[in-house]
Amino acid sequence: MDYYLSVATFAALNVILALGLNLISGFCGQVSLGHAAFYGLGAYGAALCSVAGLPMGLSVAVGMMVAGAFGILTGFAALRVREDFLAIVTMGVGFLFLGAVRKQAWLGAEMGIAKIPSPLDKWGYAMLAIGGAVALLLLSLHVRRSWMGRAFGAVAQDEDAARSIGIDVSGYKIAAFFIGTAAAGLAGGIYAHMTQLIVPDAFNFVQSVTILAMVVVGGIGSTLGVVAGAVLLTLMPEMFRFINDYKLLVYGGLLLAVMRFSPEGLAGLVHRWTGRRLA
Amino acid sequence: MSLKSPSTLLVAAALAAAFAVPAAAQNIRIGFHAPLTGFAASDGKTALQGAELAVEQINAAGGVNGRKLELVVQDDQGKPDQALPLANKYIGEGLKVVISGSYSGPTRAAAGVFQNARIPYITAYAIHPDITRAGNFMFRTSFMGEVQGRAAVKLIGDSLKKRKVTLLTLNNDFGQALSAGFKEAAGKFGVQVTSEYTYAMGDRQFGSIVASVKKDDPEVLYISGYFFNGGPLVAQLRAGGVTAPIVGTEGFDTHNFISIAKDAAEGVIITTSLDRDTKLPEMRQFIDDYEKRFNVGAEMVAASTHTAVNVVAAAMRKVGADDSVKLREAIAATKDMAVATGRIGFNALGEVYKAAQIQIIKGGKFRYYAVIDDPVLLAPPTK
Amino acid sequence: MYYVELLLVGLVWGCTYAMMALGLTLVYGLLRILHVAQATVFTLGAYVGLLVANHTGSLAAAFVAAGLAAGALGPLIYRLVYQPILDKPPFVALVASIGVLIAMEDGFRLVFGPYGLSFAKNTWFTTSLRFGGLSLNLVQIWIAIAAVVLLLLFALFATRTRAGVAWRATVSDPAIAESFGVSVSGVRHLSFFIASVLAGVAGVLVGLLNNLVEPGMGSVISYKGLAIIVLGGLGNVPGTLLASVLLGVVESFGTVYLDKVMDRDAIAFMFLIVVLMIRPQGLLGKAH
Repeated sequence: MDYYLSVATFAALNVILALGLNLISGFCGQVSLGHAAFYGLGAYGAALCSVAGLPMGLSVAVGMMVAGAFGILTGFAALRVREDFLAIVTMGVGFLFLGAVRKQAWLGAEMGIAKIPSPLDKWGYAMLAIGGAVALLLLSLHVRRSWMGRAFGAVAQDEDAARSIGIDVSGYKIAAFFIGTAAAGLAGGIYAHMTQLIVPDAFNFVQSVTILAMVVVGGIGSTLGVVAGAVLLTLMPEMFRFINDYKLLVYGGLLLAVMRFSPEGLAGLVHRWTGRRLA
Repeated sequence: MSLKSPSTLLVAAALAAAFAVPAAAQNIRIGFHAPLTGFAASDGKTALQGAELAVEQINAAGGVNGRKLELVVQDDQGKPDQALPLANKYIGEGLKVVISGSYSGPTRAAAGVFQNARIPYITAYAIHPDITRAGNFMFRTSFMGEVQGRAAVKLIGDSLKKRKVTLLTLNNDFGQALSAGFKEAAGKFGVQVTSEYTYAMGDRQFGSIVASVKKDDPEVLYISGYFFNGGPLVAQLRAGGVTAPIVGTEGFDTHNFISIAKDAAEGVIITTSLDRDTKLPEMRQFIDDYEKRFNVGAEMVAASTHTAVNVVAAAMRKVGADDSVKLREAIAATKDMAVATGRIGFNALGEVYKAAQIQIIKGGKFRYYAVIDDPVLLAPPTK
Repeated sequence: MYYVELLLVGLVWGCTYAMMALGLTLVYGLLRILHVAQATVFTLGAYVGLLVANHTGSLAAAFVAAGLAAGALGPLIYRLVYQPILDKPPFVALVASIGVLIAMEDGFRLVFGPYGLSFAKNTWFTTSLRFGGLSLNLVQIWIAIAAVVLLLLFALFATRTRAGVAWRATVSDPAIAESFGVSVSGVRHLSFFIASVLAGVAGVLVGLLNNLVEPGMGSVISYKGLAIIVLGGLGNVPGTLLASVLLGVVESFGTVYLDKVMDRDAIAFMFLIVVLMIRPQGLLGKAH
């Protein structure tokens, strides 16, 4: 039972991460290769507060704000550079975060932060993570239908055209980065309290790529598709435990296969088979 | 076709997972996780081989209380977030004892889970201090970094009689713990750390460190790291004309280090737990059997997992294999037990005490140089 | 003298980056693909070179074999992975490329083992030349020579041969190039071939320099390669070369002077971010 609970919790955390990235990359068209850095910022922010004695709720909120604040900074970078330039800059943000944390004694450097208070039990974390995932799912569905979602879409499709019809492109880009990275911060805060320890390597480039893979395999831009992608890619390594040795081979091969044969991801498959577009 | 094959595979995988029946239920199942894929796969493989050898030897000799041992192996990829579900999976399967053949990240993540479930958890070579502090069900069969760092200071100050040291520190928990232990003890032996440079796990090119070492011109170098970064580093130091003696750690304790650094490895001295010229029968036998079984030289990582399995087996012989609380007590009572890594026992924190073996590389092989058996200097922390 | 040595070290690093990044920029210039999987081409070259060198004892044979193996793999990746998805948004190719990298890295581990392999005899590595207080081993010198020669050959190819002209025409406008009788598909294959041969040769050289060939050796140099081509101004060849050398030197000094602040990869990417915030189009890129 505990095993299923912990897998479910990680699946929910991944849904939060993937939906956050989907807001930035799917809705607003700003590809990010550094999402794990914000996951890490949230975890470190929350861990520092919690170790200093703040209650968990407040600590997680601080973690979200830290992640969101750096997200806004990255959003400003997205005003300067676009598309592939932005992808590489965000990848750089990830490496910079990791490389700096590794050397900071007050962040525990390579030892990370240990003994983070853990006020909830396994059920508590599972419920919290699933609750967060559901909240973000509803928010995503709502945003998509709202004026904001349309503005995001316009920015994603053609920035210059969007600007010419009076959409505040800069504002929406920064808003997308803020919401998406604060969501990652939420996941980080929950993660830090649940595992009671965080080390820099948990938030590396591979983690960023994994989150992006969830978004893309699910179908970038489709909320339900991304949820399915996140759940699928979390469960996959678990299901493949019996082929331990070939796990990464299969994982890499699957990413390739999805991109090669169904670039719109799971959402694209659903569309092709049923003729319906996933929300 | 192309679309269906991955999904067919997934369905098959799910079915296989759902209907998997545990084989040979009467075997004693011991959990063992290690990084079999990903960046640390080399140590993961070595660790697994050491444990497998121990299980084969014990089973060949009739098993434990008439039952055979069986390792339940899981891959943690060296990642903390893989270790958490994995630990819960072991608990769900009713395992009574688990061994970590992995690095600090995953081991520390799993430690809390096993402590809460009151399942003894033995760390073979991960060195983070907080692992055993997770509680009284935690044990470690390898040196803590700070202890090994102290051994190196004594070696440099007393045996080599050198004063000015430059530290080249691998920037991970292993390197940072060694460096901290070294600096803390340096004063006691009149050793002075004149400079320190750090490098990352993935670095293989050390030109700027070599240039800096030449500028600082220390009497001796203390290098933490593993064979895959330490090997190129030592080779580049020698190629760059640095002639100062080099003291390394158990991270270099593998023939891979020598095959990378080649002639540059000659004369490198390391602190480790394995003495290739040992007279202790258990250690001797491990070294010979490992070489026979896997066709490569024995190494520290394998010796440590081999030790962990034997510690578990010895405890099971005393109290049986079905009660994890009794198992914990039996493991904690381990004293002066002769194993592949020497004569060992645990202190109140579950940390091991054993002598530090000092080996020197001569003629492309690890050879005896000295042994430091100083219960005060090498005493691990007790809380 | 110390600074001269750090500078030299940085220049040699810059040369290895250049050999990797030139190929990445060729591919990007032509297809707008961030070709992360170039890392596997680099690693394959290193493994083939090592196996041939250890088997035959000839480094020349090793380089030829590595170049050929790498030169075959690159166009193959183009054919099987990129070509069918060229009309999709760029992240599709990027994720596919990352998939290739993850799978191949694990493939190398399964085939060649996790420990990495070393050269049985590596005389280039053990032979150092000393000038005054400076010392460079032969591998470092060959890396510098190889980088300069290969890049010169490339410049000659691009400016003096028919194929080179066709290549440049295709970069600036594939449709017009095609109407002038240039085989766009041929040019693309050729670019992948050139990029891959460069990466394969660089793989052997880096393998010699580390005396270690291992499954994951290509990934970091390939990520940095991406940073370099962006830094140079995507698709801009002289910019790429300048960025490679600059990055090598910044890393060389940075690893010593920023040791307490951030690690080597972070230094590289901080440099990238700072430059791009000042010059969003890259060092030598043209503004939009």
